[in-house]
Amino acid sequence: MRPPSSLRQEFLKKWMMGLQRYSTSKKNMSILERKKAIKLSADVAIASARNGTTCWSRALIANGYSKDGGDDKHLVEQILGPESERLIMKKVLTGGASVCNKRMRSKKILKRSCGIQRTRKFAPQVALASSIAKRLVRKRTQILRSLIPGGEFMNDVTLIEETLDYIISLRAQVDVMRSLASASELASEP
Amino acid sequence: MNNAFPEILQCSDMTVLERQKAPLQRQQEQLQQQEKQQQSYFSELRGVFSNQTSHVQGLQGGLLSGDSLLCDMVMTPQAKPDPGLETARSELGNIDIAGMGFGQCGYVNGPSFDMNYAIYRTSSCPPAVVAAAVATEGVEAKGKESVESEKLGSAIGRESFKKRKADKLHCSKVVAEDDSKRIKACAEERESKITGPNTNKSSSSNNNNKKQTSTETSKENSKFSKVQKPDYIHVRARRGQATDRHSLAERVRREKISERMKYLQDLVPGCNKITGKAGMLDEITSYVQSLQQQVELLSMKLAAVNPKLDFNIDNLFAKQVRQNPAAVLHFSVTNYAGIVCSRQLFASCTTTFPTVGMLSEMANPPYLQFNPVQQVVSCREVEMGMGMGMEINSPDMALQRTINAPLSIPDASFLDSSCLAQFQSSAAWDVELQNLYNVGFDQEGSTTPFPSQPFTGTKS
Repeated sequence: MRPPSSLRQEFLKKWMMGLQRYSTSKKNMSILERKKAIKLSADVAIASARNGTTCWSRALIANGYSKDGGDDKHLVEQILGPESERLIMKKVLTGGASVCNKRMRSKKILKRSCGIQRTRKFAPQVALASSIAKRLVRKRTQILRSLIPGGEFMNDVTLIEETLDYIISLRAQVDVMRSLASASELASEP
Repeated sequence: MNNAFPEILQCSDMTVLERQKAPLQRQQEQLQQQEKQQQSYFSELRGVFSNQTSHVQGLQGGLLSGDSLLCDMVMTPQAKPDPGLETARSELGNIDIAGMGFGQCGYVNGPSFDMNYAIYRTSSCPPAVVAAAVATEGVEAKGKESVESEKLGSAIGRESFKKRKADKLHCSKVVAEDDSKRIKACAEERESKITGPNTNKSSSSNNNNKKQTSTETSKENSKFSKVQKPDYIHVRARRGQATDRHSLAERVRREKISERMKYLQDLVPGCNKITGKAGMLDEITSYVQSLQQQVELLSMKLAAVNPKLDFNIDNLFAKQVRQNPAAVLHFSVTNYAGIVCSRQLFASCTTTFPTVGMLSEMANPPYLQFNPVQQVVSCREVEMGMGMGMEINSPDMALQRTINAPLSIPDASFLDSSCLAQFQSSAAWDVELQNLYNVGFDQEGSTTPFPSQPFTGTKS
């Protein structure tokens, strides 16, 4: 298993690579633009640390790729490195969303039709504790799905695995960013 | 991480079903008995069903409806076929119903499966009917209507679509062959993919399939645990639990989920006291939200601190690195695991990004502080045991990772200027770093793919 420190190192390295693009460009960016650039590079960097093996990382990279214009595409390329970028983008574009979309759509159709049938049969709604619990769980799973990038395309088991991985990566990201922020603050003190 | 889990998912689905299919040969007599029963039922139904052409689709439609009806009848011995019929008809929609085809339905062979596959993909069949179809597909070509068909029809679990597809794929493979022997061979193929975690799931005994007409629990059969072939995955039904395929699969799925939730419990702080899925999900959601918000805040802070987005890590730490050379040595030795990691970064960086080499060299200091002493031990263990660069490929890995992960929480508290102040200026750092690399490398052995010669820092 990869020790946490190497994840952070990899993240930092890629993040800095991505940020270099912005520092070399001459235009002055507003604070919001800078923040967006920082966040985007950080997201793509932490996602690339997974090399396209997890669903959330692919979704994050896809986000970075498809946003406005060529700028971000080059960012992704730069961060991922040309060979792995090709591989990963292949995975992202072909594998991911389309297949998952179809699957989810057909799942939803099936569920809807089943649901209709069921409600017709069991019209009197007795509020059992189990059904309440199930509803709660379902609602919260829905919320979690909306949080994890690419979560709408996962089933329950995958969702939890992805959450595990995502939490670990988020933590690494936060740690690195925090240390960088504190170091920058200290450095900027006169 | 996804490498193994989806595989496990599919495989376990396979195997749960395969387990149940395995002892078919034992049930031959019983099945044939049932078949006779079923056929008698269907002779009644024939008149009730609308008369349709019995092309293959209709055959299967009849199969579907027939099974659901059969199951209804099985459940309620005095059940009238009519309500069942109505539901079946409404459920099936445009699928032709040919009850008379039922007798031959058991002989459905390979080619029809694709059709059936297509059927339940395009039509919106409710799970019971589909499951019944699946069950009948799973039956051998000899017309042994397996017990599963009844069980499936009766037990309406929340089986996932994916699982049913997996069933289908498996079944089409199965029925193409004639013996149950070949079924086992097929099952064994699949099972070669099975990994450890599945073995400790609750197992259903093979012989649970012996239960014929009842959907009741297998109190007696849960005691059976006879293994036919050694490499089957056992899912044992506990006493007092239903043993039909749906509930078994459902139970496997539930256990998978709860296992993953346990890992999450270790990962998310404050989740230990909470039991129950809903509460834990709530905690997890709020934790993820807070982490994401922190990322936003920090990126805003970074944007504010530095108007040009030029994070020169070099200069950042140069200011703090003035004092205490001795402390560096001490700190570094205790953190040589971290150094070993950073060496890799260093090496790879300098080969591919010569201009960034400088940058990454100075990026090492922050990472030493990411490895407080208590984490070094775990890092070292993990590195030795597992090697680097592995993703979550199994729950073991995830467990290891989660064991390590809580240690990273104290890291954050380490990140203050006092740590930064321990680092030396660049020149002296280099020398010591090289020494430490040699030391660390020799001690560690080559668990990491480093070049074996001492590192000669190429500073551009």
